[in-house]
Amino acid sequence: MDAAQPFAAARGVVLPRNWATAAGITAALALAVGWPLLIGNPFFITLGTTIALELIGATSLHLLLRMGHISLAHAAFMGIGGYTAVLLRMRMDVPFPFDLIAGALAPALLALVIGPVILRLSGKYFALVTFMSGEIVRLSLTQWSSLTGGANGIFGVPPLVPGLTSGLQFYYLAVLISAVCIALVARLLTGEIGRVMASIRESERLAACSGIPVVRVKVTVFAIASAMVGMQGVLHAHHLHYIDPSAFTSVQSLNFLVMNIIGGADHLIGAVAGAVFLVILPELLRDYQGLQQILFGIILVIVMAGLPGGLVQLIGLGWRAALDLRRRFAA
Amino acid sequence: MLTPAIIGQILVNGASLSAIYVLIALGFTLLFGIMRVVNFAHGAFAMLGGYALYYLYGSLGLPYVLAVPAAAGIVAAAGLALEVLVFRWFYNRLMPGMIGSLGVNLALVFSAVLIWDVYERSIPPAFVDIVRLGGVLLPLDRLVVTGIAAFVLLLFWLLMTRTRQGLAMRAAAQDVEIAEAQGIDTIRIYRLAFFIAVFMAALAGGLYAQTYSLSPFMGERPLLVAFIVVILGGMGSIPGAALGGIILGFVESILSTLYGAATSSFVSFGAVILLLVLRPWGLLGTPDTMRA
Amino acid sequence: MNGTTRRRLLLATGGAVLTAPAIAQSGGELKIGGIGSLSGGGTAWGLALQRGVTLLVDEINAQGGLKVGSRTHRLRFVMLDDQYTAAGGRTAAERLINLEKVHFVIGPIGSPAVLGAISATTPAKVICLHQGFASAILKNDAGAPYNFRIICSTVEFGPAMVDWLHTNLPQVKKVALVAPNDATGQFVVPTLASAYKAKGMGTWTEMFDRGLQEFTPLLTRMMAQGVDLLDLNSNSPGDSVLLVKQARQIGFRGTIWQVGGPAVEEIRVNAGPLAEGFMSWEVFDFTSPAGQAFATAYRARWPGIVNAHAPVWYNAAEMLFEAIRRAGTASDTDQVRAALEGLDGYETKLFGRVAWGGMANYGVRHQLALPFWIAEIKGGEAGIRTMIRPAVP
Repeated sequence: MDAAQPFAAARGVVLPRNWATAAGITAALALAVGWPLLIGNPFFITLGTTIALELIGATSLHLLLRMGHISLAHAAFMGIGGYTAVLLRMRMDVPFPFDLIAGALAPALLALVIGPVILRLSGKYFALVTFMSGEIVRLSLTQWSSLTGGANGIFGVPPLVPGLTSGLQFYYLAVLISAVCIALVARLLTGEIGRVMASIRESERLAACSGIPVVRVKVTVFAIASAMVGMQGVLHAHHLHYIDPSAFTSVQSLNFLVMNIIGGADHLIGAVAGAVFLVILPELLRDYQGLQQILFGIILVIVMAGLPGGLVQLIGLGWRAALDLRRRFAA
Repeated sequence: MLTPAIIGQILVNGASLSAIYVLIALGFTLLFGIMRVVNFAHGAFAMLGGYALYYLYGSLGLPYVLAVPAAAGIVAAAGLALEVLVFRWFYNRLMPGMIGSLGVNLALVFSAVLIWDVYERSIPPAFVDIVRLGGVLLPLDRLVVTGIAAFVLLLFWLLMTRTRQGLAMRAAAQDVEIAEAQGIDTIRIYRLAFFIAVFMAALAGGLYAQTYSLSPFMGERPLLVAFIVVILGGMGSIPGAALGGIILGFVESILSTLYGAATSSFVSFGAVILLLVLRPWGLLGTPDTMRA
Repeated sequence: MNGTTRRRLLLATGGAVLTAPAIAQSGGELKIGGIGSLSGGGTAWGLALQRGVTLLVDEINAQGGLKVGSRTHRLRFVMLDDQYTAAGGRTAAERLINLEKVHFVIGPIGSPAVLGAISATTPAKVICLHQGFASAILKNDAGAPYNFRIICSTVEFGPAMVDWLHTNLPQVKKVALVAPNDATGQFVVPTLASAYKAKGMGTWTEMFDRGLQEFTPLLTRMMAQGVDLLDLNSNSPGDSVLLVKQARQIGFRGTIWQVGGPAVEEIRVNAGPLAEGFMSWEVFDFTSPAGQAFATAYRARWPGIVNAHAPVWYNAAEMLFEAIRRAGTASDTDQVRAALEGLDGYETKLFGRVAWGGMANYGVRHQLALPFWIAEIKGGEAGIRTMIRPAVP
């Protein structure tokens, strides 16, 4: 059974739907909105924007992981969304918000087309197909210079919303879209579809026998995840005022995966924690760049070998150990 | 464009490419076939083999015939440490194995960057002569690599089909529990298989580094090649690895020469995707029905 | 502590006491930012930047610091990695500007990284001395840009080299341009192709995906086209070595040269006898007295091949510090920019007279008309064939 599932069932890190959660979410949102008013440094604001954007990709990939599929083409969909929006805006004067919507729809459409074919494949084959597809997308973006500007990309991308020029304003826009995406993912996971996805991951055959339209569910989730990361691509292009293929390679797809694994692929919080961790750590370790990647590698091994719930599980264990200690001393 | 000399050169290039590709793929498919591990660190082991050969042959000047297997042996021995520490947690656990080996790859490659810096080095060639046959030029070092590949392939096939250990490995690959019930010490057999797999990766890596160039990132392309060859031929199948390597080598040579490098990349990637969708177990593999 | 050391210590203390008033006037630290690739494939270029600038910074600090107006500043060079991407260049620039509070940035190197960086440096009025070849970098900001290109791009040195080729090797009729399909390759190849065509030569182009190391099918294809000259243009040193070796191994007898790189030393060392006759764009003459002094100073600190771009960055830093000195301020970048723009005629240590150009091509005179050389490998040794001062309209 172990080889059939990519990850075992959630390790008891269940999200209690009560006021504690609501309080936690409110606090997080307040923090996200409030801190720039205290620390106005543009560098931190850009960092915050980067975190907000990476969260979209990490949490949308999380949807796929919870369904039992590891996609290494996630960044390719991001690129498709970004280029679609940029080309529509700059070559055909399509205004906001239609270019953003198109940037979400294009990867979703692609997902709807190739999904039924590739989602029938089991774990390792799906991963390999997505890896190859990602490479083909990257090659196409690089070769088709007349359309995409080739490896040099397209510069001079105008502000997403006319008039929205400051870094701070863009930060809030990114936080807004990111929060909506995360909320959508959370809603899907905790609702009926989440249960269906979990049953598909446990055993596709049993799920199919229970009457679940397995392929249809998979393709729908795949399309939603692709739409979300497509939006990240659009925001990315408008943030840098520049788009080029180097941001959409398998390295970035791998980053999204690493964020989920290190944070803990069993729970949405893990994806969030992993994304924040992976953006902040390089900034903290600026003087020790050589060690960063080695550290990531070691953490990946440890997590996969013995700590499948990632950082979140680690924190949970630490919390439980602390409670144990307190009980022992109190007794 | 298709003069006899060009056609001859296409065939020669194809054979040379095939040889290297087969060598690279053998270790990869062995590890998957026996232990169901998709080893993303395969390229990193090849890279380490390159550095080992660089020191043994390039710096210390050991005779080539000795340096090549010795370099591979050193890396394989060091690999055993990784086997005990890391890989044995991932046997028969596909997804954790994939991601765990990804972590090993990151750690190995960037440790190499710390130790050896990023710049590309060359291993001095063992043979500099160029043999002329008709209108076709065959560099002697490429001929030697082709010869080594054929030799290793033969040895490997003999090992798997004619020795007790090979039989034990195949038994363990089919069904671990029954194999153990028959008295096979699977832990030792797995360790042996791992050693051989890393040995071959390092061997291929040393020859690859000598043919092209050596750097910490050298293993990326061999890894990609290993994937493509093994998918073509079938994961876990040794004749499959040989067939896949030959197909990829010749297709690449023909397409690149006649239509350009970009076409060749697109076609090979496209073919792999098609194969994964229609026949994921490759040309010579078997569909795993019970295991995912 | 022996007698000599004690004497030295006394002298130093005495000297310090005597110069105390001067040091008391010194302004604190002057931070200069640097951005370049310090990880991944482009690290050689990033290191060249870091080391070239560090050499000069250490020289100046050893002499007491940079005198700006009435104060002397100790220089501190903070170099960040951009990972050769646009996002990396932007993040590094933002960190330098907003956390390290620099007013001057040296680097980045690749066009995507530069485009990312200047989206942060230009609004912040931070002066940026870079090596981004894309024309848009200078053109788009024309009018009030704060960025300067401190080395000739292919647009400047390409046609000049092709002119030289046409004069000195008139038998070349067809040129092969083989390049990786990345940002630099896609920019350089069309530029060079039109330069060759302008001189009446035919061209054949092939772009390959970076990571390819087996070039023999590509080179076989090339030989079937009947080319006389192979131009390695924007290939990395590693790939250039392989292309030279493999081309010669399958029997290519034409000329091989590189309007780009340079990778002369790498090719000389690693291609051995197969490198005979190879010619290349060379950014520095290491055989000149100044060049040898530089190489000695470099090798005293870092082993291995001296990256030929290090002197270029040393030169950029030298020009920047001179401009700061002339402006008398290290914080008013408008004044420093004016001083930098007016630096024509200043004699730099390594490259001679400064000359700015670029008005016709970019609408602004921020392209440094740096001289370059053509190197040749003859008899296993690398020598200089000629020096060229390109016209930069």
